[in-house]
Amino acid sequence: MNITLHINGKDCPLELEGNETLLEVLRDSLNLTGTKTACQESECGTCTCIIDGNAMLSCITLASTLEGKSITTIEGLAHGDQLTPIQQAFIDHGSSQCGFCIPGMIMSSAALLNKNPEPTQEEIEYALDGNICRCAGYPKIFEAVKDAGKKMAGK
Amino acid sequence: MALTTKSKFADAYVDPVGKSVPRLEGRGVVTGQLKYAFDLSFPGMLVGRMLRSPHAHAKIISINTTRAESLPGVKAIVTAKDTYKIKFGSNEYFFPHTVDQMALESDKVRYIGDEVAAVAAVDEETAQAALKLIDVQYEVLPGVYEIEEAIKPGAPQIHESLNNIAVILPVNFGNPERVMKEADYVREDKFWCPVAHPSPMEPHVCIGQWETFTNKITLWSSSQAPFKVREAMAKTLKMDLNDIRVIKMPTGGGFGGKLEMLPMDFAACVLSKKAGGLPVKIVLTREEEFTTTRRKHGMIYRVKTGVKKDGTILAMTGEVLADGGAYCSYGPTVLAAAMMRIFMVYKLQHFRMTGYRVYTNNPISGAMRGFGGVQSGFAIESHMDMIAEALGMDPVDFRLKNITHPNMTTINKMHLTTNGLKECIEKACVAAGWNEKRGKQKHLKRGIGIGIAADVMGSKMYKSHESAGAIVKVEEDGSVYLFTGAADTGQGSNTALSQIAAHELGVSFSRIKCKAGDTEITPFDTGSFASRVTFISGNAALLAGRDAKTQILEIVAKDRGLRIEDLDIKTEQVIVKLDGRKIMTFDKALELCYSFNYGKQIIGRGSYNPKTSPIDFRTGEGNVSGSYGFEAQIAEVEVDTDTGEVKLLELWDAHDIGKAINPQSVEAQIEGSLAMGIGYTFYEDLRFKNGRVLNPNFAGYRVPRSIGIPKMNSILIETNDPEGPFGAKGMGEASLLPTSAAIANAVWDAIGVRIWDLPITPEKIIKGLRDKEMK
Repeated sequence: MNITLHINGKDCPLELEGNETLLEVLRDSLNLTGTKTACQESECGTCTCIIDGNAMLSCITLASTLEGKSITTIEGLAHGDQLTPIQQAFIDHGSSQCGFCIPGMIMSSAALLNKNPEPTQEEIEYALDGNICRCAGYPKIFEAVKDAGKKMAGK
Repeated sequence: MALTTKSKFADAYVDPVGKSVPRLEGRGVVTGQLKYAFDLSFPGMLVGRMLRSPHAHAKIISINTTRAESLPGVKAIVTAKDTYKIKFGSNEYFFPHTVDQMALESDKVRYIGDEVAAVAAVDEETAQAALKLIDVQYEVLPGVYEIEEAIKPGAPQIHESLNNIAVILPVNFGNPERVMKEADYVREDKFWCPVAHPSPMEPHVCIGQWETFTNKITLWSSSQAPFKVREAMAKTLKMDLNDIRVIKMPTGGGFGGKLEMLPMDFAACVLSKKAGGLPVKIVLTREEEFTTTRRKHGMIYRVKTGVKKDGTILAMTGEVLADGGAYCSYGPTVLAAAMMRIFMVYKLQHFRMTGYRVYTNNPISGAMRGFGGVQSGFAIESHMDMIAEALGMDPVDFRLKNITHPNMTTINKMHLTTNGLKECIEKACVAAGWNEKRGKQKHLKRGIGIGIAADVMGSKMYKSHESAGAIVKVEEDGSVYLFTGAADTGQGSNTALSQIAAHELGVSFSRIKCKAGDTEITPFDTGSFASRVTFISGNAALLAGRDAKTQILEIVAKDRGLRIEDLDIKTEQVIVKLDGRKIMTFDKALELCYSFNYGKQIIGRGSYNPKTSPIDFRTGEGNVSGSYGFEAQIAEVEVDTDTGEVKLLELWDAHDIGKAINPQSVEAQIEGSLAMGIGYTFYEDLRFKNGRVLNPNFAGYRVPRSIGIPKMNSILIETNDPEGPFGAKGMGEASLLPTSAAIANAVWDAIGVRIWDLPITPEKIIKGLRDKEMK
């Protein structure tokens, strides 16, 4: 089937069998390898992308269902050279260690902050509970989300 | 004449050491541009998959690959007949008989997942289909899965060793049996320490390419120890070290699980050769990661201690049985560490413990963060609390009476120089409010508990030397490259080593770039394990920075008619040491070096081998580390006695790290260790039935997630180690060692229930409360 997906502000025409996940399309067809996966079965959150404003797991989302929707991956977050506040906050707070989970973690955080720039600790924990980080132990991730939220709220 | 005029670096000077500079990889990570081995692809690249045994124990009668070979799209199949059948292992130096695994087994399989063949095909579907077409005939053998069953005479024999015991390791000092008789109180406990799994987020990934005409191999790998992988590859392939280039890509976590060559690394390269040199990529599935890589040893830990009324420890004896699974890997040294770490923590004179590393038909045990210390930390630190309780002593006072101190030699000849253990305990107690809380919150079902630990930074348990090398290259534009063999797996070593080199060179951190872990380009380094990198590789980086600086100063001295010994480079300036007078900027000095007159390239070199001695496993003696790190941890919990749920309220961790090169990274390593410790305490438990892993995924094997992480407090104790680079010690593992005991001891303080076997589950708490009522 021929389909056009709207990814990171661009139209991407694709020829699909129909059973490809968004993750496979991103990584294998479009070379957008910033989106990772650690389980391929919706348990780790590493493959999180933003679809129409919501954090979604690309490993269990069929690409063929996404026509007309707005898809953002980690590569599409920054504006040119300018990192978004959440990306910058992850650097500033040392929130990343090996970094493999971080694209997914940032996408979940960005989806949260876009709806709720000043989340409580509980709201952050709830929003990120699907994203596993094996290195860092989370406190520095929480700090980054709070800091970025404040910046986005103009405080 | 000027080659460079304006510096792009000098305006933003950042004093590199002791500052939380951001990670060198930071922008790459947050934009998704950093490429891991997982992300690499090459033209013509094939997909490789391993064929694994479905049986826990079986003879291989025959392997027929004919049907698979004729499947369109299959490019290569390898089995043991394509190999030299050379065994590999990781304790070759001390325990040569434990080198027991083949990349592809030829006669027998010993666990579910054992590799018997590998396939390379044009895509995943074809590779999977080909695996199904390989016909392996097995004669199934009886298996053995429990440690205590495996050592019984007549149990199924997994290897040639008697009673399935791969290694018996006795550690004997003094005369504990005699001295124990003089004790006022003797206590014996038996603990079960379950099986955890490293589970890095990036699974094991490799891409192997065997250039058939030049006979050169390149392996792109997600690895903690590229030089060790190269060594095992060369041995098993009968090639020279320099025929094999291992390129460690940015690695998505390791935690001990990526220290070794795995059969997949070997297979990818041999498949590539058979496929005419096309690159072959193998990525393990999460299920393969959980079932076929390396896991923490499950251990039965028995310990008996005799003390005087005043709390002085007189003697200790014990026995450790470790479930090794099918092959030895790092097992013997993990076992040794599980018994001998205590010498760094407590002053002991009379000690006898025997360790048994037992083969079973379970998946393979090996190294995992903590290296035996997580198990012994839980056992010993719980045991110590119970002794203090029996003596009516505060657990902190009991520990302070028995801990090691600075500038002492332990019974097994470890030379402890700087030792901040006492300060760690005291600072943690003050921060946590120990005196105000201990024993005083029972009405709230709240409790507080302590655990202490120590760790090596490097360990001579692996090879005859464990040196690290570094090169600092200063370009004519003032940019600085650090080349290190160290493997950054996320702990931040690229950044920390760059900070050390830049600081010693006297320049801003912004000048430096780091190239790491490429066996053909960077100097040798044994790898990221034993918390060794900041200390050992850091010293090499320091020496390389110093050498580069000396080369620059030689030119300045010559040009200005000054004596080199009077000069130094500090904060981007060449200065006179005596009065700090500025001679010229760093950029001007480089301009001079690269001028027509001098044409001097600046290439500094550093090589560091810690002043240690290997352990003599006949006596247990050896100063394994160039310095030692120390640690005290306090946990506060609240228990719901209706549901049995233990809520972890807060953790305090005081850590003697010598000097924090990058405080933010140090804190992050502590927080990550604490999280892993929390996981081991409450739910990380890889379970087996008849050799099959029952929970090989993140749904079944829970790891720490954002909900349930308590407030974590890191207290950095800087003892300025004279041997460490700028006083720094290694760290990264010690904070994980006492966590389970600190929490278990806090549970005891809260509700009087003792846990001898992890994980702490609501069922065990409820059972403990019921047992208490019955008494």
